[in-house]
Amino acid sequence: MKRKVVSTMLCAAMAAGLLAGCGSSSSSSAASSSSAASSASAASSSGSAETTETAASSASEAVKSGSTAAAGTADASGHTYAIVTKSAGNPYNEREASGFQDTIEALGGTCIVQNPEQATADAQISVINSLISQKVDSIAVAANDANALSAVLQQAMDAGIKVMTLDSDVEASSRMVFCNQAGVKEVGQALIDAVYDITGGEGEYAILSATSQATNQNSWIDAMKSIAESDDKYSKLVLDEVAYGDDEPQKSTDQTQALLQKYPNLKVICSPTTVGISAAAKVLQDQNSSVKLTGLGLPSEMKEYIGDDDSHSCPYMFLWNPIDLGKLAAYTSVALVSGQITGAEGDTFDAGDMENSPYTVTTNTDGATEIILGPPYKFDSSNIDEWAEVY
Amino acid sequence: MQQKKSLWKRLTGSREASLVLILVALLIVVTILSGGTFLTPSNISQIFRNNALTMLMALGMLCVLLTAGIDISITSILAFSGMTIGLLQKYDILRNTFLLFLIAALIGTGCGLLNGLIISKGKVAPIICTMGGMYIWRGLAYVISNNNWASGADVSGFSDFGKDGSIGPYIILIIAYVVFFIVMKWTTFGRRIYAVGSNAEAAEVSGINVDRIITLVYMIMGLLAGLSGALSVSIYASAQPNMQYGKEMDVIAACVIGGVSMNGGRGSVVGTFLGALFYAIVAKALPLIGLESIWQNLIKGIIVLAVVLLNVLTQRAMDRANLERREL
Amino acid sequence: MAGKSGREINAVPQSSVKQKILSWEGGLVIIFIAVLILGAAISPTYNFSSVFREMPKYLCEIFMMFAMGYILIIAEIDISVGAIVCLAATLGCFAGNAGVPLAGVIAVCIGTGFLAGCLNGVILTHFTELPSMIVTLGTQIIFRGIAEVSLGSGGSVSMSNSKMIMPLATMVGPFPLVFFFVAIAAVIFIFVLSRTTFGRKLYAVGSNHTAAHYAGIPVQKIRMICFVLIGTMAGVCALFYLSTTFGANTTTGQGYEMDVIAMCVFGGIATTGGKGNLIGATIAGFTIVCLRIALGQRNINTQLILVIIGLLLIVSVLIPRISEVLGNRKRRAAQS
Repeated sequence: MKRKVVSTMLCAAMAAGLLAGCGSSSSSSAASSSSAASSASAASSSGSAETTETAASSASEAVKSGSTAAAGTADASGHTYAIVTKSAGNPYNEREASGFQDTIEALGGTCIVQNPEQATADAQISVINSLISQKVDSIAVAANDANALSAVLQQAMDAGIKVMTLDSDVEASSRMVFCNQAGVKEVGQALIDAVYDITGGEGEYAILSATSQATNQNSWIDAMKSIAESDDKYSKLVLDEVAYGDDEPQKSTDQTQALLQKYPNLKVICSPTTVGISAAAKVLQDQNSSVKLTGLGLPSEMKEYIGDDDSHSCPYMFLWNPIDLGKLAAYTSVALVSGQITGAEGDTFDAGDMENSPYTVTTNTDGATEIILGPPYKFDSSNIDEWAEVY
Repeated sequence: MQQKKSLWKRLTGSREASLVLILVALLIVVTILSGGTFLTPSNISQIFRNNALTMLMALGMLCVLLTAGIDISITSILAFSGMTIGLLQKYDILRNTFLLFLIAALIGTGCGLLNGLIISKGKVAPIICTMGGMYIWRGLAYVISNNNWASGADVSGFSDFGKDGSIGPYIILIIAYVVFFIVMKWTTFGRRIYAVGSNAEAAEVSGINVDRIITLVYMIMGLLAGLSGALSVSIYASAQPNMQYGKEMDVIAACVIGGVSMNGGRGSVVGTFLGALFYAIVAKALPLIGLESIWQNLIKGIIVLAVVLLNVLTQRAMDRANLERREL
Repeated sequence: MAGKSGREINAVPQSSVKQKILSWEGGLVIIFIAVLILGAAISPTYNFSSVFREMPKYLCEIFMMFAMGYILIIAEIDISVGAIVCLAATLGCFAGNAGVPLAGVIAVCIGTGFLAGCLNGVILTHFTELPSMIVTLGTQIIFRGIAEVSLGSGGSVSMSNSKMIMPLATMVGPFPLVFFFVAIAAVIFIFVLSRTTFGRKLYAVGSNHTAAHYAGIPVQKIRMICFVLIGTMAGVCALFYLSTTFGANTTTGQGYEMDVIAMCVFGGIATTGGKGNLIGATIAGFTIVCLRIALGQRNINTQLILVIIGLLLIVSVLIPRISEVLGNRKRRAAQS
């Protein structure tokens, strides 16, 4: 008797769980239900899809044959495009995904936005696996780890899915093209120039980074170091330490305070990460420290700390527009799926109303193909209020 | 039976005293390694401010551990309450610092009450119940945040409370520790918590409502976790759904270092304070003594394990000494 | 009720078919089928091949679930397994990159897990006053710390010769190779637990280790064996993890310990020891895996999936209690 009760209750609980699951899914991912429908309709009306494809391929042939004219933006209808961000619960990722989603939907395609539960490669692998099962047409991923995703992305490409990365790259062989928010060298140059400018050309500076394995931060810091070494102009700048705040407010605060204490002659802290720069800004501003801050940060998070006078800790900082990065990734995905580009160097495609359209695929110093959004954008007291409203 | 003990015996004979010795040794090492600049007033205040959350939650964890329970949902409750009040400010619904703290505390108490009821009335093992809670509250924090943070300008007025130089966090800490010290030492409620932890069946027989005590203990834990959520938003001027992720283990470790037994019935407020302080000093000192960042976690783990093992050894020595005295 | 004396040993095999269907495991089978139906209902792409294609990543964790079942049955806990996976995968990757053949990589992964388990076991059997939770918490930080230090500033390593590890990721028909290893492990672990004296001793230790000690059971030896076992299984998990990712980083295995404990608990193993069996845990493990895959294919918010699993966990442990209360009430009503 007792056991019967147990099993019936278990089933009831299960059913309740399912209801909860279904109920929430209808609101959070309405897109996916329509994705199933649209892929079915795409199959039934393959005629129209074919014509788009042939048109697109002839356009890409035109590009290859030496014509400099940009090809028109391809039609996205009938296809499903997915974006996998670094993690849930982060406004930067959210802006990136919203730019992607709006563009795909404006072009008539179906969009799936997936935010992994944690900022780890593990969580992204599960999500990508599930997207492969859903037979989406393209996956754009902002990689949490340069190595660990290569196996699953290779699987996706074997299944005929167009794979591209944005924001943070993986090995070149496991994706078709990388949408780079700004060239690594340009970011490094901008940051080291900011340090040079704020220190007045000489003095000590320190770097507060995210985690020790953050691919982007590491490459920018390396670029800063190599630029500083190669040019005599920066010879009077001394890098005291690269500290890691792990993108946690508490640890970033501890590390900033430790930097201030360990290096009394410190003039500038450069923090190329959103969490780090706002934690450091708060420490410096609260203490009325003479040490100044620069780096990369979201305007909406940094509004309070940016200003020219001594009561603000950060004279200026840089970032790119994450919404635009998402948009560019969307246009790239569409172009990849339509066959307009293959991710080879020299491919050109039109990106709607975007500033630098048409974009061209280039090759970076490591021989990997990428599309660069543009130079990093400078935020100072004159424009911070305006941009803080946007992202 | 009371006889005059030698100073050495008295120091090694009490857990708190031996912990003080370890702390002093640690401070000396750190001071030497950091070139004599560790114990400055600003450093000391930063130690307390940056670890106020761990210190506050350690008190609740003390009560939970005393009843032979455990609560691993605390940082999820912290994130949920912190995110809620962060969003209240972001969308300009409420700006009153006191009310915000109150709301955070209420949310925490509610979550704690649920934990307590499921554990006491539902007879669910504490680690399982709070593990479920850990997923649920953290998940809800993400869901309500809708991928947004509340930070900087959003919480500008509120963050003055926990600003560097403001005495807000210290006052909360002092009040909490004084209240807990008194309650745990001199009130029947405090005694009852110990009784339940030492032997729940005996406590039940002697007329203590065990279920109620257990429910209350988890409510207190929830209350402190909720308060910590508000405090965290105020100190770091930011509310993010992943805040303090995984830090519940730090809180438990701080308690255990402070001599609180995970089998229930043994532990004190003073010990908890020393344990939390120990943890705080290690966290503050590691970046200061010029250790490379990637080594810091490894060293921290070794220190934690070493102190826990040392605790056992001193406890054994104490037991042996007591036994010898009895035999005399 | 909650006292140690009242704990029953649940290892007695049940005979009647009806009882089997209505037992906890029977309920789990029904839920498992319900999850499969749900998956097919909400996702058009949820089918045999897609589930098995997505499964290897989760199957790695199931290896550890068996050993975690043993650990929970003797009333212990091990939260260092995720960190052991990280360390073993990292060292295995380094070994592969240094030119060691596949057999060597296998040995390094499993050996690392074995040694890590030994360390946990040695500390716990020599400092018996310490709860396993706090010791494995300490070693967890240390194991991950060692991995962090050996990974250096990049924090990530990839298999330079991924072809070498590929044989472990092959598909045998529609089934991934790892599935067969899990099946073999399941048979062995379930057999040892339910049909050997060693298995009985685990229940005895978990129910009351003082009594077990006086009954002549080598309690400390059994604890040691269990912790070495789970370390070794974490090493096996790391090996197959490498075969699905070709690399490791500092976040590898994060949260695995909680996933695995949740599977065991959902499968009816009590964390207070002495209760439950691995058949239930195995079904529960596959149920959670299939549920995650199904919800994932429906693109449900990943955080919401965690909320659902958390609710499932609490509800599943509450049910026996609720049915007990209801049963008591009914009995009382019948008596009056």
